[in-house]
Amino acid sequence: MEAYADHPARHRVRWLARFALLWAVGIGARLLFLQAFSHEEFRDLARQQQTKLRQLAAPRGSIFDRAGRILALSVPVETVIVNPLQLPDRPLAAQLLARTLEIDEAKLRDRLETYANARKGYMVVDKGVSVEKADRLRQLGVDWIGFESNGVRRYPDGALAAHVLGGVDHQARGNAGIERHFEDDLGGYPGYEWVVSDVQRRSFDSSIEKAPQAGRDVVLTIDRRIQYAADEAIREAVASSMADSGTAVALDPNTGEILALSNYPTYDPNEVPKSTADYVARKNLAATDPFEPGSIFKVFGLAAALETTDIRPDTVLHCGNGTINVGGHIIGEAHGGFAYLTVEEIIAKSSNVGAVKIALKTGDKNLHDYLLRFGFNQTTGVEMPSESQGLIFRLKRWQPGSIGSVAIGHEVLTTSLQLARGLAAIANNGFLIRPHLTRARPLGEVTLRNVVYQPEQNEQPRRILRPETAMTLRKVMESVVLTGTGKGIRLDGYSCGGKTGTAKLFDKTIGKYVSRYNASFMGFAPVTNPAVVVVVTLNGTRQYGATAAGPAFKQITQTALRVLNVPQDLTDPAPAAEPVPERIVADVAVTSTPLKTPEAMQQEMEAEQGPATAIAVGPKLPNFVGKTARAVLDEAMQAGIRVDIEGSGIARVQDPPAGGRLASGQHVKVRFQP
Amino acid sequence: MASYRSIRDLDWTLIIIVLIICSLGVLEIYSATLNTDYKSAWWKHVLFTAVGVGMMMVVAQIDYHSLLGRVPAMYTISIALLVVTFVVGPKLLGGRRWIPIAGMTIQVSEFVKIVLILLVARYLTELKSNGVEARDLLKLAVLMGIPFVLVNRQPDLGTSLTYLPIVGGCVFLAGLRWQHVVAVGLVALVLLPAAWFVLEPYQKARLTTFMDPDGDPKGRGYQVIQSKIAVGNGGIWGRGVTRGSQTQLRFLPVSLTDFLFAAFAEEHGFVGVVVALGLYFLLILQIIQTAQMAPDRAGLYVCMGVGSLLLFHVFVNVGMLVGRVPVVGIPLPLMSSGGSSLLSVFLMLGLVQSVRLRRFVN
Repeated sequence: MEAYADHPARHRVRWLARFALLWAVGIGARLLFLQAFSHEEFRDLARQQQTKLRQLAAPRGSIFDRAGRILALSVPVETVIVNPLQLPDRPLAAQLLARTLEIDEAKLRDRLETYANARKGYMVVDKGVSVEKADRLRQLGVDWIGFESNGVRRYPDGALAAHVLGGVDHQARGNAGIERHFEDDLGGYPGYEWVVSDVQRRSFDSSIEKAPQAGRDVVLTIDRRIQYAADEAIREAVASSMADSGTAVALDPNTGEILALSNYPTYDPNEVPKSTADYVARKNLAATDPFEPGSIFKVFGLAAALETTDIRPDTVLHCGNGTINVGGHIIGEAHGGFAYLTVEEIIAKSSNVGAVKIALKTGDKNLHDYLLRFGFNQTTGVEMPSESQGLIFRLKRWQPGSIGSVAIGHEVLTTSLQLARGLAAIANNGFLIRPHLTRARPLGEVTLRNVVYQPEQNEQPRRILRPETAMTLRKVMESVVLTGTGKGIRLDGYSCGGKTGTAKLFDKTIGKYVSRYNASFMGFAPVTNPAVVVVVTLNGTRQYGATAAGPAFKQITQTALRVLNVPQDLTDPAPAAEPVPERIVADVAVTSTPLKTPEAMQQEMEAEQGPATAIAVGPKLPNFVGKTARAVLDEAMQAGIRVDIEGSGIARVQDPPAGGRLASGQHVKVRFQP
Repeated sequence: MASYRSIRDLDWTLIIIVLIICSLGVLEIYSATLNTDYKSAWWKHVLFTAVGVGMMMVVAQIDYHSLLGRVPAMYTISIALLVVTFVVGPKLLGGRRWIPIAGMTIQVSEFVKIVLILLVARYLTELKSNGVEARDLLKLAVLMGIPFVLVNRQPDLGTSLTYLPIVGGCVFLAGLRWQHVVAVGLVALVLLPAAWFVLEPYQKARLTTFMDPDGDPKGRGYQVIQSKIAVGNGGIWGRGVTRGSQTQLRFLPVSLTDFLFAAFAEEHGFVGVVVALGLYFLLILQIIQTAQMAPDRAGLYVCMGVGSLLLFHVFVNVGMLVGRVPVVGIPLPLMSSGGSSLLSVFLMLGLVQSVRLRRFVN
C-alpha cells in the first residue's frame, strides 16, 4: 500500500496517549483535593444547604385559680404553608385554601403569583388556623400544603383578673402580670429540629436536636368568684363615683394570699392593644401606681403611738378647734373643728388635728420607724413585674412640718398593695406577711403536676406589733363603721372594721390641691379574727372615701367571706343603709400648701430607686458570633439562656451583645448567615 | 481480499469495558432519578445500550473504506438535516436541537460527529505529502466550520465544540507543522475577540463563570458550586447508592445528563471515580492500540478521530464538574442519559471495530 510505516502519524499516536495520561493525573489530583482533602468542608456546605434548624414551640403552661379553675391556657393552632412553585394549579389552590380558611381568595391568588414569580418556595398562607380547619386541609391529601403547629393564648373569662394575669405578646411571650413574671417557667424551653429539605424547600426528613420542654403551670391564690366580685364592684364604683380609675385588693391577712386584685379601667387580654387608652388600661395600678393615701394612713400613725407612748383609745386630746400649726404649716379639718376628742373618736371622725397631735406625741422618729415596720417604702415582693415601693422620706429629709403631713397621709406615697399588707398586720395580730399570688397546689381534689411555686420568703412572718396593739386598733377601726366616717358600711352577719380616707389630688398645672379626691376605704372582717382584708381606692372622684369606696368594700368583703366559708359572728342582718350626713362622712386630709408635691415625690422616688422597669438579671451573655447553630445551642442550654435563632450558617449578629445580661423572660436573638 | 473475519476477532476487551461503563451509567441514572419524574430513565439507558451494541456489531462488519467513499453524500445529508433541525425542530430547553421522528427525537448534531470523523480521515488520507499544508488546513476548517456554525446557532455550544478535537487530533497526527500551530494560534488570538461578539450572552457567561462561581452563586455559578459540593461531599468512599444528599435532594442540577458524573462522584466517592475514569482511560488506550494496528492511514485516522473525541468528552465533562473547565454542556459518553449521544458513541466504536477486524493486511 502507501508509504505508511514512516508516516508521522505512527509516532504521533503516542502523543495522544501521553496527553490522556497527563490529563488523568491532573484531574485525579483535583479529585483527590475535592474528595479527600476538602471533603469535610464540602460535606459541611452540603449539610448547611440541605438542613435547616427549626424551632419547635414549647406548649405554654396554664394558669389556674386557687380552686384549680382555668384562667389562661394555650390552644393549639397551626400555620398553613404552601410552596408556590409546586402548586399544580395556582388559581385552584387559592380557591381551595381561601374557602377552607375563610380568607380573601383574590388576595391569596395575587400573593401566590407574586411568590411564584419571585421563585420563592415558601409562603405562609394563614396563621392561627384552628386544628379542625387544618385537619380539613390535611384530609385533601395533597403534598403542597405544609403545616406548622404552635399555640395561641386564651383567657376564657376575658377581662377577669386581667391585671393579675397580664398578657402575652405576638410571640406568645408574657408581657405583663403573672405571664411576664413567670415567663421562664410558663414558656418552657423551645426545642429544635434539623429539617432536611430539598432544593425547593420541601421537607424530607427531620431529626430532633432537642425536644421542647413544656412550660409549667401556675396556680394562683386568686379566687375566681371573689375576683369577679371585685372586678364588678370596682367597675360599678368607678362609674357611680365618676372616678378616673379604681383598684381593689383583697387578701388573706394570715397567709398573705391575694384573693382578688382588680383595677379599672381594665382590658381583655385576648385582644391586642390598639390605642393609647388600651395601653393605659393595661397598667396594674394596685402594684405600680403609688399615691398619697390620705386619712386611711392615720391608722398606722396610731399604731406607732399605741406602741411607743401612753396614748390609749380613751386618751382625750384637744383638737385645736379646727386648725393646728406644725412648723409653720397649717393643717385644718374637713368640716368645722373639734375641741376635745378621745383618740378613738379622732380616728372615727377622722380628725386631722387630732391625728397630728397623736403624731406629735409619738415623735417623728417613732412614726418613721413604724411606717417602715409596716412595710412602706419597700416592695411587697408580689409576683408581678414593675412593682413600686412607694415613698417614705428618710428622717433627716423631713422638714419641720413633715410630721403633720405624714400623720394625715401626705408627703408619702403608697400602693394599694402596701396598704393591704400594712392593714393585714393589724388584722393578724401583728405579723408582716408577704402578699403573694401563687400557691403550691390548688385547693380540694384537683391535683396538677409540674406547678410553678415560689417558696414563701417569710415562712415565719416578722412580728411588727404587739398583739394587744393590733386588737386595740381593730376595735378603734370598728368604731369607724359604727359611728364614724364609715357609718353605714356594715356587712350581713359579720362585724367589720376599717378606715376611710379622702386625699385631695394635686393638680400640677395650677400647682394646688383641688377638690378631686383619691377616695379610699380599707377594712377587714370579722373584727375578732379577720379572714379577709380589702383595700379599695378610687382616683379622681369628687366623693368622699366612705361614699365612693364603701359599697365596693362591702360587696367584695361579703363575697369573700361567703366564698371562704367564714363563720358568721353577728346574728342580725346589716341595718338598712340610711343616708349619712356629709358632715359625718367628710374626712378630707386638708393641708393648705404641700411641702412636697406628689410630682416632686414621684421624681425623687425614681431618682432614688430608678424607674420601675425590668431589671436585667441572669448570667453574662457569652459571645455567640462566629459559632455554628449547634455550638450556640449547646452553650446557651448550659448557661440557661434562651436563644432565638434566625437563618442558618454561622452566627453573625447577636442582640443583646456578648457581656450583656437578659431581663427576666428576655431571649437572645442570634442571626445566622452562611 | 478474502481475509477471514469472525465474531471472535472483535475487540472483546473494548466491549467489556464499554458494558461496564454503561452499567455504571444505568446504576447512577437509577439512583439520581429515584424520587423524580424521570424514574424510567435507567430503563431507556439499558435499552439504548442494547441497541447500541447491536449497531456497533453491524457497523463492524462494514468495511470502513466503503464508508469513506460515501463521505460527500453523507456530509451533504448531514448539513441538510442540520438545516432541517432549524426549521422543524421543536423549541426545547431554549434551543432547536432535535428532529422529531416517530415519537422520538433525534439529535442530528451527535451523528454529524461520525461523518466528520470519516470526512477528516478521507481528506487526510488523500494527501500526497507527509505533512499538512496551510491550504489543507483552510479547506478542513471550512468543511468543519459549516456544521460547527449550524450547531452553534441551535444553540448548542457544547456539541459544536466537540467537532474541534476530531479535526485537531487527526490533523496533528497527519503531520501538522509547528509553524502552522503558531499560525493557527495567532489567528485564534485575533478571532477570539471576534467570536466573543458572535456568542450568545449566556454562552459567554458559561465560559467565564467557572473561574469565579461564587460571584453569582444563585445564578450562573450555581451549577458549578453545587457540582463541586456534590463531588466533595462524596469523600473517599462515597455516600452510597441512592444516599447522595446533593443528588437526592436535587441540589445538583441536570443530574442525569451533563452532571451525572457529579452524582456518581458523590455516591461512589474518590474510589468509584478512579475506577470509572480508569475504565475510560483503558477504553481510550484500547482505541489507540487499534489505531496503531490499523492497516492503513485511513483506519488510523478513523480510530484516532474517535479517540480524540471521546477523550475530549471525558476531559471537558469531568473538568466541568470539578470546576476546571467552563460549563458548556457536554455529556459523559456512555454514562450520561441521552439516546442520540449513546448511539453515536456506539456507532463510532463500530468504526473502530471495523478497523480492528481489517488489521490483517495481506
